[in-house]
Amino acid sequence: MEIKTTAVAGTLESSDIQIMISKGSNGIEIDLESEVKKAYGDQIEKVITETLKKYGLENAKVKATDKGALDCVIKARTLAAAQRATETQDKPDLEVL
Amino acid sequence: MDKVVDLFLSDAATRQKWENLLSSLDLHNFSAREVDQIDHTIGLVDEDGKLVGTGSVAGNVLKYVGVINEDTQGARFNKVVTNLLQYLAEQKIYHSFVFTKAKYASSFEHLHFNLLAKTDEAAFLENGMPDVNDFLSDLPKVEDQADKKIAAIVMNANPFTLGHQHLVKMASEENDLVYVFVVANDVSLFNFNERMKLVQEGTKQFANVKVVSGGDYMVSPATFPAYFLKSPDELIDVQTSVDAAVFKNKIAPALNIARRYIGQEPISRTTHFYNVSLAHELGPDIEVITVKRLEKSGQIVTATQVRQWIKDGDLAKINKFVPESTYEFIKQNMSELQSRIEKGMNIDGN
Amino acid sequence: MTYVKNRLRRTMMFVPGNNPAMIKDAGIYGADSIMLDLEDSVSLTEKDAARMLVYEAIKTVDFGGSEIVVRVNGQDTPFYDEDVRAMVKAGVDVIRLPKTESAAMIQKLVKDIEHWEDEYGIEKGSIGVMAAIESAKGVLNAPEIATATPLMMGLAVSGEDYTADMHTHRYPDGRELEFARNMVLQAARAADVYAFDTVFSNMKDTEGFYRETNYIHELGYDGKSLVNPRQIAMVNKVFNPTKEEIEQAKNVENAIREAKAKGSGVISLNGKMVDKPVVEKATRVLETAKASNLIDEEGNYIGE
Repeated sequence: MEIKTTAVAGTLESSDIQIMISKGSNGIEIDLESEVKKAYGDQIEKVITETLKKYGLENAKVKATDKGALDCVIKARTLAAAQRATETQDKPDLEVL
Repeated sequence: MDKVVDLFLSDAATRQKWENLLSSLDLHNFSAREVDQIDHTIGLVDEDGKLVGTGSVAGNVLKYVGVINEDTQGARFNKVVTNLLQYLAEQKIYHSFVFTKAKYASSFEHLHFNLLAKTDEAAFLENGMPDVNDFLSDLPKVEDQADKKIAAIVMNANPFTLGHQHLVKMASEENDLVYVFVVANDVSLFNFNERMKLVQEGTKQFANVKVVSGGDYMVSPATFPAYFLKSPDELIDVQTSVDAAVFKNKIAPALNIARRYIGQEPISRTTHFYNVSLAHELGPDIEVITVKRLEKSGQIVTATQVRQWIKDGDLAKINKFVPESTYEFIKQNMSELQSRIEKGMNIDGN
Repeated sequence: MTYVKNRLRRTMMFVPGNNPAMIKDAGIYGADSIMLDLEDSVSLTEKDAARMLVYEAIKTVDFGGSEIVVRVNGQDTPFYDEDVRAMVKAGVDVIRLPKTESAAMIQKLVKDIEHWEDEYGIEKGSIGVMAAIESAKGVLNAPEIATATPLMMGLAVSGEDYTADMHTHRYPDGRELEFARNMVLQAARAADVYAFDTVFSNMKDTEGFYRETNYIHELGYDGKSLVNPRQIAMVNKVFNPTKEEIEQAKNVENAIREAKAKGSGVISLNGKMVDKPVVEKATRVLETAKASNLIDEEGNYIGE
């Protein structure tokens, strides 16, 4: 799976997470902003990384702005951003979720 | 629940409502310089149909963001910013900026805007990617850069003259490596690609000079938004501080830049003042070296004069002020450049 | 979750499909049905993201026993096919088709659902359908729409689009909706499916909301579409049976039990035969009373 463009999904509103993805070359690099980063930062990054890997992306730069999202929201937003970045959003890959 | 709507400021009644809201939030500058650049404006409307928030974008810059906060903290602000970022994403713009009052910096930081500069008056932040770290890591580097003597010059080079060349030469001789940052905004007679090309050609002979784009990180007075300032008179002051702060805190440390070369300003008082204040802001970490301006046949070499001669069509005079490469370019593109001036391109600025 | 044809459906709460905060909390208000929306409340550029969010939410969020309905995008949009596929895979209870104007549209939806049920090894008939009636044509074709499939759960009047189609708009007295409301209700009753009234969006006008809800309850509607959780308790209050209705229903239930015990095929109460509509009404009344905590487990009246 190849990243073709920078893309973003999700909002900055409560309980959501905004995920921006662009091309990378050093594995999955995540820059996370979250009010609960201390307690849940690792978990959030793990969900993002796992979702991207399951989708078939090994390298990506990710900016994540968390507003208290549940895991299911993190997964959905990550996949939406990844599919937009690979320009495959018309063929949702539900198997990843 | 509040609703997001598009606002069309061309509609007089909408414009009035919009100005009233922002005025109530202590934003009062609605000059054409600020408002005319806006590409898109959204509003937030509450259940009674009252306008309770707004935000605009101009290019990749967020402007006039303001909300009446009666609800849970930040919800309206987050909604407005989300919608502006979504609008930009639709235009394939994933990297955006905001210039705002210093006290609002933290609201934007909570939304993952990274602070590029903060002064007493203003804050300058960016969001998305590629960001300043990507910009810096993409710049050319040399081996053992940390141990080298490194200088920088920021220029618009509109167009590149013998004066610019003289400045670069001085820096090149006195340092191990020189970065020439060419201002990237396209508000000049010579567009960015043309200016970049002429700087590259005019500095080819200096092996230790790297010509690079200033990206979005050289804050020019031409594009600095002033709508949030108390008075437009503060513009140059605040813009200089912001520009200097980005350079000093973000650009210089990453590249080990210890000196900045600027041309002495014998004519424009404003530019002279800018130079003095830049030296003040950058010091003591960065030494500012002011180089006396080059003269040819008793006349100070300026790009402003070259542009005037382009308007006059006086190639012979231009030839005295610019290197061969710039001269050739002007000669071949004279009619195009003149037509840009005729179409209203301002040539008196920088 | 699996589709159940008959259940209590007084309140159907709309939840925008791209809003995690509202989706997350949707289950705590006790709505009989929750309608997650992929259509009008989601902007064109967010359709893909909303679909994934709703898909994930159905699979993982606890909606507290509410029935889960998803309003997919219309059959004339490029989003419809993937919407249906994702919702079938997610295991939604009911799919609501917007802008329904004919039985053929519903039959296409059922065929598409069956296709994906096959694909994903889901038992056929696990998902119900409902039709939103939003145009003059839809209203006139309500009878054929209501009987288009055995999987039909119900019909819903959608007032905003319908009034626009009729060259009018919503008025406080609701006269502009009179024909549509009656037509849709008749069609639903004749086909033995549920009927839902349209939303009332002015949250400030509590009196108007009660007036409208009382009116549609009086007509015989099963429930109302809602945009705000605050309206749930208000609708339930209107739909609550009276103490007398509950007593009567309990008598019917006792009569049935007695008849069964005696092995008698004929149920009678106070010398009159109890027929099917009466039995059904009694069941409905007791279900509603139980849901609203008007009777306890033993059926004793505990309301005020």
